[in-house]
Amino acid sequence: MVDLLKEIEAQIESAKATTTAKQNVGVIREIGDGVARVEGLSDAMLNEMLDLGHGITGLALNLEETEVGVIILGDYTKLEEGDEVRTTGKLLQVPVGKGLLGRVVNTLGEPLDGRGPVNSDDAYPVEKIAPGVIRRRPVSQPVQTGIMAIDAMIPIGRGQRELIIGDRSTGKTTICIDTIISQARLNKEAEAAGDKSYRPLHCIYVAIGQKQSNIARIISVLESAGAMPYTIILASPASDSATNQYLAPFAGAAIGEWFMDHGMDALIIYDDLSKHAVAYRQVSLVLKRPSGREAYPGDVFYLHSRLLERAARVGEKYGNGSLTALPVIETQAGDVSAYIPTNVISITDGQIYLETDLFYQGMRPAISVGLSVSRVGSAAQLKAMKQVAGQLKGDLAQFRELAAFAQFGSELDPKTQAQIDRGKRIMEVFKQTQYSPIPVEVQVAVIWSVQNGYVDDIPVERIKEFQATLTEFLNTRKVELLRKIRQEKTLSAALTDELKAAANQFKETWK
Amino acid sequence: MIRTSKQARREAKRLLGLCMVNGKLDEDRARQVVQVAIQSRRRGYLILLRHFHRLVKIECDRRTAEVESAVPLPFDLQARLRGGIEALYGSGLTTHFAHKPNLIGGMRIQVGNDVYDSSIRSGLSALAKSFGMTGSNGWKT
Repeated sequence: MVDLLKEIEAQIESAKATTTAKQNVGVIREIGDGVARVEGLSDAMLNEMLDLGHGITGLALNLEETEVGVIILGDYTKLEEGDEVRTTGKLLQVPVGKGLLGRVVNTLGEPLDGRGPVNSDDAYPVEKIAPGVIRRRPVSQPVQTGIMAIDAMIPIGRGQRELIIGDRSTGKTTICIDTIISQARLNKEAEAAGDKSYRPLHCIYVAIGQKQSNIARIISVLESAGAMPYTIILASPASDSATNQYLAPFAGAAIGEWFMDHGMDALIIYDDLSKHAVAYRQVSLVLKRPSGREAYPGDVFYLHSRLLERAARVGEKYGNGSLTALPVIETQAGDVSAYIPTNVISITDGQIYLETDLFYQGMRPAISVGLSVSRVGSAAQLKAMKQVAGQLKGDLAQFRELAAFAQFGSELDPKTQAQIDRGKRIMEVFKQTQYSPIPVEVQVAVIWSVQNGYVDDIPVERIKEFQATLTEFLNTRKVELLRKIRQEKTLSAALTDELKAAANQFKETWK
Repeated sequence: MIRTSKQARREAKRLLGLCMVNGKLDEDRARQVVQVAIQSRRRGYLILLRHFHRLVKIECDRRTAEVESAVPLPFDLQARLRGGIEALYGSGLTTHFAHKPNLIGGMRIQVGNDVYDSSIRSGLSALAKSFGMTGSNGWKT
C-alpha cells in the first residue's frame, strides 16, 4: 500500500513537472516545398526535432538570428502560416534492432510493408559522430559477395567502403542484390551447421529516390531468394519528399550502427548517392543556402564524408562489430570526373567501375578490371583466393594491352597468343548470371583450374559449359574437398594435390 | 542606398541597435528612425522599414508577457505573477492578462519564445498524443 502511495505521489510530481515545464515556441512565417521558416524558437538546437502540430515533425536545419529553417517530415500541406511550432529537446531518432530484420520501413522507421508495427525497444539518433581512430581496427575479415570478379580481384572487407559506380542500367543494383543474397546463403549455412565462429552479416538496403516498381522488384527478388530474414529495406522512393530522401541514408546508417555497437556485422547499401545529393541540393536551395558548383551546396562533400565515415570496423574492446558500406553512384555517359562521383571516389576505400560497353559486349557483371580497385580489401581476402587469384589482375591488364595489338591482325608469337587466349578464358569465367552468387570455395577451385591450364584446350565459347559442369562435379562428387577449402581457407600442398587429382579426374570425363 | 534584401536586413539590425538603451528598446528613438527613413525616401526604404518593423516586433514580444487563464485572475494573484515573471526575466516587462475559457483550467504564460503551459487543454492534447501517434504514412508507430 505504501509503495502504491509513493508511486502515485511520484507520478503526480512528474505530472506537475511536465505540465509546467518551459517550452520554446515559434510561429511559421513561410511554408512551401517541404521547408518552413519559423520565427522564434530561440532555444532550438541544430538537427533538433520540432513539433509542428497535426502529428507532424520537423527538423531544425538552419539556425538564423531571428528564425529557423525547418525541413518537414510528413505532409506539410496540413500546416499553415501562423501555426505554432515547439522544440522537443530531442534529436531525430529511428527505431533500431533485430526487430527490423525482414521489414520494409521508411526514413522514420515506420513500416511500409503492412505487417504491423516494428518490434523495437531501442532508438538511435540519425546523425551521429563516426567512430574515432582509437575505436577502429584495420579491415581483416572478408565480405563474400559471391561475384567471382569481385571476390578474386576487388575483394571487400568488413568495415570497408567500396563504391559501385557506373552509368544507368549497367548492373550496379544487381551487384548489391547478389551480395545480399550471398550473405543470406552464408548466414543460413552457418546456422544450419551450428558454426558459432561465423559472424553473420546483416544487410540494410537503402533505396533513395528510386522508382517504387524497382523497390518492389528488389523485395520480391530477395524474398524469393530467402534473403529477407537477414535484410532490412529502408525505402525513400522518388515520390517521397526531398527531405525524407536526404535523411534516408543517415537513418540507414543509424540502423547499421546498432549492429556494429552490439558486436555484430552489418552491410549497408546506399542506392544511390547521386540521387541523395540531388535531394540535398533541393533542400539546400529551398532553405536559401548559398550554392556552389553545379548548384550543390558547399557542404555536399561533408554530407557524404560524414555518412561514409560511419562505416567502420571497431576494436574488440568496443564490441568487435563492423559496418560495411557499399555506396552506389550513377554516372552520366561514363563521366567519373563529375562533381559528386569524384567526391565519393575520394571518400571511399576503392571502387567497382561498371562499363556500358562491357555490358553490351555480354560481359556481365560489366566490371572494368582496370579502373576498379579495392584499397584495403586485399588484407581481408581469403588466403586460398589470394593464392589462386594473385596474378589475375596483372594477367588481365596484359591481356587488354595485347588484345589491342591483336586487333591489327599482325602475326603473334606463340607466347603472346597464349596470353591472349588465357585472358579470353579468364574473362569468360568471370561472366556470371544475376542473382546466383558463387560460393568462395567453388570460385577458388574454378580459378585454380583456369590458372593451371585446365581450360587452355577448351574453346572459348564452351568455357561457361565447362565451368558449370566442373562446379556440378565438385558439388556432387568432391564435397569434402570444397569443405576443406572453406574450412582451411588456404591451399596447402596436400589440398593442391587433391585439387589437381579432382581436376584431372574431371578432365578425363569432360567431352 | 539599399540594393538587396540582405543589405536591408543588415541595415535594419544596425538601426535597431541605435534604438537600444541599456539593453531595452527606446520607443522614441524607434519612432524617430521610422520618421527619418520615410522623409529621406532613400531607395529601398520600404524594405528597410519592413525589416525594422519585424525586429521591433520581435524585441517587443521578447519584453512582453502574455498570461492567459481559464478564469479571470484576482488582482493580488496578477501582482504575484507579475513579480514572479520579472524575477525570471528582469524588470521592465509589459504583462498582459487575458481570459481564455477554452483553456478549460489552469493558465498559460508566454514570454518571448518561452511558454509555460499548465492548462488542462494542453494536458489533454499531450495525453491524446501519448495514446499513439500516427505516422506520416498513416501507420501507427
